[in-house]
Amino acid sequence: MMMLKDTYSAEIEATLAKYPPENKRAAVMPLLHLAQRENGYVTKSALYEIADLCGVAVTEVASIMGFYTLYHDQPGGKYRLQVCTDLPCALRGANEFLEQLCANVGVKVGETTADGMITIEAVTCLAGCNKAPMFQVQTGEGLEYYENQTVESAVALINDLVKR
Amino acid sequence: MSKQVNLTIDNQAVTAAEGALIVDAAKKVGINIPVFCYHPKLEPAGMCRMCLVEIGRPVIDRATGAPVMEGGKPKLQFGPKLETSCTTPVSEGMVVITNSEKVKAARKDVVEFLLTSHPLDCPVCDKGGECPLQNLTLAHGPATSRFLFNEKNHNAKHVPLGDLIYLDRERCIQCGRCVRFQEKIAGDPVIGFYNRGRQMEIVTFSEPGFDSYFSGNTTDICPVGALTSADFRFGARPWEMKATASICTHCAVGCNLAFNVRREVGGKNGSPSKGGIVIKRALPRQNEAVNELWICDKGRFAYQYSESPTRLATPLVRKDGELTPASWDVALEYAAEGLLGESKPGQAKDLLVIGSGRLANEDLFTLRKLAEGAGGQAALYSQSGGGDLLAQVGAAPGTNLASLGKGSVILVVASDLHEEAPIWFLRVKQAAERGATLIVAAGRPTRLDRYAKYVIRYAYGEEAQIVAALGDSPRRAELVEAAKPAAAAKPAAAAKLVEAAKPAAAAKTVEAAKPAAAARLVEAAEAFGKAENALVFFGSDGLGQSGAQSVAQACAQLLAATRHVGRPNNGLIPVWGRANEQGGWELGLKAANLQTALQASTTAYIVAADPYGDDPSLPAPSFLVVQELFLTETARRADVVFPAQAFTERDGSFTSGERRVQRYYPATPALADCRPDYAISAELGQHLGLKLEGRSAAAIFAQIATEIPAYKGLTYRRLAETTNATAIGAAKDPRDAEERRCADLYYSGAGYENTQGLGVQLPLQTLSPALSKPAAAPAAQLSKTGLLAVPVTQLYDLGQTVLPSALLRQRIGEAWVGVNPADAAEAGIEAGAAPAAIVQVVLPGKPEWRAAARIDERTPRGVLLIPRSMGLPLNAPLPGASIRPVVRRDSQEAASQQPA
Ligand code: SF4
Ligand code: SF4
Ligand code: FES
Ligand code: FES
Repeated sequence: MMMLKDTYSAEIEATLAKYPPENKRAAVMPLLHLAQRENGYVTKSALYEIADLCGVAVTEVASIMGFYTLYHDQPGGKYRLQVCTDLPCALRGANEFLEQLCANVGVKVGETTADGMITIEAVTCLAGCNKAPMFQVQTGEGLEYYENQTVESAVALINDLVKR
Repeated sequence: MSKQVNLTIDNQAVTAAEGALIVDAAKKVGINIPVFCYHPKLEPAGMCRMCLVEIGRPVIDRATGAPVMEGGKPKLQFGPKLETSCTTPVSEGMVVITNSEKVKAARKDVVEFLLTSHPLDCPVCDKGGECPLQNLTLAHGPATSRFLFNEKNHNAKHVPLGDLIYLDRERCIQCGRCVRFQEKIAGDPVIGFYNRGRQMEIVTFSEPGFDSYFSGNTTDICPVGALTSADFRFGARPWEMKATASICTHCAVGCNLAFNVRREVGGKNGSPSKGGIVIKRALPRQNEAVNELWICDKGRFAYQYSESPTRLATPLVRKDGELTPASWDVALEYAAEGLLGESKPGQAKDLLVIGSGRLANEDLFTLRKLAEGAGGQAALYSQSGGGDLLAQVGAAPGTNLASLGKGSVILVVASDLHEEAPIWFLRVKQAAERGATLIVAAGRPTRLDRYAKYVIRYAYGEEAQIVAALGDSPRRAELVEAAKPAAAAKPAAAAKLVEAAKPAAAAKTVEAAKPAAAARLVEAAEAFGKAENALVFFGSDGLGQSGAQSVAQACAQLLAATRHVGRPNNGLIPVWGRANEQGGWELGLKAANLQTALQASTTAYIVAADPYGDDPSLPAPSFLVVQELFLTETARRADVVFPAQAFTERDGSFTSGERRVQRYYPATPALADCRPDYAISAELGQHLGLKLEGRSAAAIFAQIATEIPAYKGLTYRRLAETTNATAIGAAKDPRDAEERRCADLYYSGAGYENTQGLGVQLPLQTLSPALSKPAAAPAAQLSKTGLLAVPVTQLYDLGQTVLPSALLRQRIGEAWVGVNPADAAEAGIEAGAAPAAIVQVVLPGKPEWRAAARIDERTPRGVLLIPRSMGLPLNAPLPGASIRPVVRRDSQEAASQQPA
């Protein structure tokens, strides 16, 4: 099985070196990022490997990954469009927005378009509550925020993304 | 006593220790603030918001630091919002309101919110009837919900977290009790939260799932029916069951249990009970001085042996070479004749009587009487030794691990407590976390190491010397000398010791490690000597009878020399393998070398022990009587077999490793024709012409109390007392011990209050002068040829009392042998193979044995770890062992890799 160590041993060393040896658990987050960069999501075997590298229980690593919306445990599209549907956003119509957006794009929440470009997900608060409907786009390189959105503006953005 | 704080709760004046939480202070005066996530044994988390209250604090004048007065009273400032009483400590002058309209409205909303996605399937939920969510919803919740029914989140309902615990994801209210229990109490974070918000769920990634010896406890403290045990789920409704107080029989801790029973047709596990009373589950019964309110999974699930369909149901007598059912009269008569042989009554000096720590005090006492009266010998079936010392140096009355913290030292020698006595592991770990100095001396890494201030490694065979070195300063000086690199080459015994103490590291760090290891030993010894209180645990890791005897001796001398005897929280605690081995020693039975003892006897009466199963090479007596639950290997060889009652079917008492005498009660009616052990022995005694008390356990206990000085004045009634329950408990904790006593709403309905006895700790005898003088520890006699095979304990083994539990059987795993990578390489065994390489273990004088090799650094170089009761009889360390690779019979893949 492909191990992260085989490909990224130098980066792993460098990451671990940043933290005192008794606090290796601090390296869990950066290593999760590294693992995600490799496949677009964190594989189960990467979880075990990171647990081993940092000397923490694998369930703890999984818990950390599960807590953050920026880590994924399933493969997805090239771009992940994450719509906040928490209460404040819901009050500003985020649920209807998400529903219509999905209908327009032709996927269900959590699914990826047939061309493998776009995944639409519902997430919890992204700290843009007053500018809902809002979402963030995870591009693989970074994050882009889009606020005060309409279904039209979002569809237009998706068309752009596909061409990028 | 810690500083006290005065406050007012619902107009009642309350005094509470500084640092106490409001929820606990309120409980003390009878005000029950509803909680879900709070649990008095866990750190507060503030996750559910059920405990919201109004809190007013006196306004303090910044200039003077004095409270601002208003109309003759201190002016109060109430917070703009309600606050969680489970996370807020009390403070001087605080005013708490728990019953205002505002608080009631908040509770209503919290319940409504918790139920948004709850399936409300109480009619089919195992928790229904003892469910805090159900109870608190009725007490505080709204009658209807404003949330849309159709928008309920639906989740998986029967998720096996492992073989033992099931999760219902819809029912979880995300209180985090289970996660916090595993992380903080068990120290084993094998379950965790995943995702957040409405998607939050409990997951496990360990292999096997939810891999923890303490997993069952999460089902007790889960405040809803989200976590259920495979044993009990869909088994019964709480209100149909009665509870019986009992004691776990699986190790020397003596955890207090409650068995829930009900009458039903058929019975569990195909039990022979037809329409009888059956056990539905085992739960912890709270005893703050023993198990608090936890038990390990062995205690929770292994009781099933008592209901196994393979139990013996009638007496058997050998006829024409076959064991055939017989009446009690015939069997007893035949047994008595055979045991007596040619000798006259009272002169059967060739009779050997063997009883094990699975038996009650009453049984063991009767056995000793029988042996004495008949003129024979009585022996305790035990792989360990040193029990005779405990009457002088055992844990003193008043000892409670919960009260150990800063200023105390706990030394654990030759024991992997996690495997040998899980609840002691848990309590020692907790003590270390409260500030007690933990010293772990072991031949290999154990799970306790991580909580230890000092980890001392020795070579197997040198346990007693290490203990002696901890107590005797000249010897330590010698050690330090020897540890200096220049002196290390000297073949002094001390140098060897330090050598042994080196961590398994690369050769070049060894030189550097020696002085460090010696320094560690010196520091540990000083800490031990200076400690206000010191407890020593000694186990059986790598020890046989004589090894354990010398370790116990060394520990006793160490305790005596440092004056850690005779006071509460001081003394020696043996980690025996069975519940009542201590009782055996106290009542005058001694562990004997069976090889010689059986050689010297012509007839034997063996009760609740399977020596021939453990070691088929033992000499056979010419006439053998066996008293058992199962047709064991030993029973198969018997001339007469008596079927005994299981501990769940009768009453009796055990003496724990902490010398606490505790009573247990009958939970179910007896199986068929079975009788209690003491009654069978007494009748057999009568047939041998002896007058033995056998009418009831209580009558025998009364006799024990008059004849055995340590038990003097004890009665069954005293053992059943719970009056001083409040005085026990984590008294040094800022949160008062009282709140922790009863199984009330904090404890989720599962887990029992102790109403049937906290037991009594035995008093100590005065120290004999011989023990006060430090004697030289005997040098290890182990030869250095070949590998040294040492017996070690694993919690789930193939023992008679574990195997019948269908649940635990899956966790036992295959037989294994621990091998160091270097030794494996020398023997040509490939490390890291999956499945693990099978090896042939060759021990001088033993049958060959195959096991999966566990090859890693946890096994020291030159050593083979052999788990007890896993197929290879090994009762003591044995040099001259070797291993050979073999083909894994069940694997095609391995067959192709067969070595040439
Ligand atoms: S499973 Fe039970 S104990 Fe664990 S978080 Fe859910 S409700 Fe709480
Ligand atoms: S720790 Fe020992 S006494 Fe307690 S439940 Fe487990 S096996 Fe039984
Ligand atoms: S609730 Fe949607 S961004 Fe905060
Ligand atoms: S927040 Fe206090 S009990 Fe849950």
